[in-house]
Amino acid sequence: MPAIATSGLTKRYGTALPSLRRGSGGYGVGPDGVAAAPALDDLSIEVREGEIFGFLGPNGAGKSTAIRLLLGFLHPTAGSATVLGHPIDGASVEIRRRIGYLPGGIAFWDGLSGERLLDELAALSGRPSLLRSDLLDRLELDAATLKRPVREYSRGMRQKLGIVQALQHDPELAILDEPSEGLDPLMQRSFYGILDDLRASGRTIFFSSHVLSEVERVCDRVAIVRHGRLVALEDVAALIARRKRNVELRVTGAVPILHAVPGVSDVHVDGNLVTCRLEGDVGPFLAALRDYDVRDLTIEPSRLEEAFLEFYEDADAGSAA
Amino acid sequence: MNRAYFTHVWRANRWRLAIVAIALAAWGALLPIVFDAFGAQFQALIDSGIIPSQFARFGGGDIFSLAGSVALGFVHPIAVGLALVFSVGFAAAAIAGERERGTLEVLLARPVSRRRVYATALAASMLFAAVTMGALTLGALAGSAVVGRLAELGPANLPVVWLNATLLFCAFGAISLGASVSFDRLTPAIGTSLAIVLVSYFLDVIAELWPAAAFLQPYSLFHYLDARAGLSGFANPGDMVVLIGVTGVAIAYALVVFPQRDLAAPA
Repeated sequence: MPAIATSGLTKRYGTALPSLRRGSGGYGVGPDGVAAAPALDDLSIEVREGEIFGFLGPNGAGKSTAIRLLLGFLHPTAGSATVLGHPIDGASVEIRRRIGYLPGGIAFWDGLSGERLLDELAALSGRPSLLRSDLLDRLELDAATLKRPVREYSRGMRQKLGIVQALQHDPELAILDEPSEGLDPLMQRSFYGILDDLRASGRTIFFSSHVLSEVERVCDRVAIVRHGRLVALEDVAALIARRKRNVELRVTGAVPILHAVPGVSDVHVDGNLVTCRLEGDVGPFLAALRDYDVRDLTIEPSRLEEAFLEFYEDADAGSAA
Repeated sequence: MNRAYFTHVWRANRWRLAIVAIALAAWGALLPIVFDAFGAQFQALIDSGIIPSQFARFGGGDIFSLAGSVALGFVHPIAVGLALVFSVGFAAAAIAGERERGTLEVLLARPVSRRRVYATALAASMLFAAVTMGALTLGALAGSAVVGRLAELGPANLPVVWLNATLLFCAFGAISLGASVSFDRLTPAIGTSLAIVLVSYFLDVIAELWPAAAFLQPYSLFHYLDARAGLSGFANPGDMVVLIGVTGVAIAYALVVFPQRDLAAPA
């Protein structure tokens, strides 16, 4: 059973008029009669149990809308979803009993001390705080800090407290919206370690971010959304492998003919300097160079960030066409 | 109702509640003392005809009798203003304030349904109304005892007056909570609630002072608080039925609207 499964999940804001609803696939219209822009459009994904799933996209892409739909804060315009086997419409409380949630830009009852806040939130969860002391240690939130009112906390300390409240009851599924925002690099590393341990113990993590380096570091699979639509869903490794790397080589003598080599594109020759882009397996490319006198060869390592940008460029090109 | 959330709400409001209750008790005690000291002089002033008789009564209260002065204590703007700290201030902020601050997210991320969150805030609002009106009633009792007129007051009727006043502020609490679940921001929720209270108060006052406007009085919720009749042992059960009915309608509205609303990310 997938931890999260969505099918055609759609959210549009605006006034839904019954007569227009029939003719526009359930989409609402604004007061000007123009169909409201979709915050999320036909999202179909499956998050497997025990994986760290990255949900990527720029600000306003629909990440938070998707999360809010899963938690029952928003009602879908169309489509359906289940979380831990429970439908989001009708079993929202049961879902929230089994998950931990870190909202983006989290706000707390600031008059409480950190300790009191965690106690009250644990009482509301109705589950023992099995992981609290370990999380506090790893995120370096000491007892003296926890005695202070939350209103005195820095942004980073609030974020750490947010992580602890989301994970302290050892949820089966953690939904984390921009979890590393405000954390310094050392704390980010500790946080990634926590995620690794949760995955090792079979927990599922749904992780929204626009920080690509951390998604690359911690996630098994990613979904990329743009303008509310899913543009990619695959393994991080596969995504990186599909990325076109920049290649630069210097040769003496004859210049290799690379245009027909599988995975090679955008070949430019400038004297003895050849540049191109390489996608996928490097074998055919190296085989094509075998009979040439290559003096220098640079293949830029694949980074998720560029794979991500390529997706967006492709999507832009598709839209323009 | 959710016990853990109720505990949170209680902890967050207990000192404010104590201050308001003490202030209301002091106010409740003051009016019998004022009546005892100056009631006869005020009566002479009214009898002289200098002040029109309708100005001598306010919301069923006056300062020419002990029951009248106690009744005045319940509808005077000072008492109403203090009671509204919770009936409007707390109730309107209970959901819309949490929404605006972003703390509703953290609360609703727990296994607590929206209806339970609402029911908890409603229960707290009703408790606060009962406590504040209890303090006012006990203050009136104490003030009457201080001036040696406890028997004249008829303490056996005070629970009825307390219930009548509590129901009035429960109704305002339920209306304010209805506004609270309808808005994402605190200002419109408080503004709407206060507007309803002020219009209601204005209708009651204008209808009492101006006979031609008397037909407006049934449209004011304050009309259904009759402390004077309660103290005389002639409380009208119909008044309480109206207040319970208004409260019920406000609760039904909130229970339908709140779970169906989309709670978009706070701005």
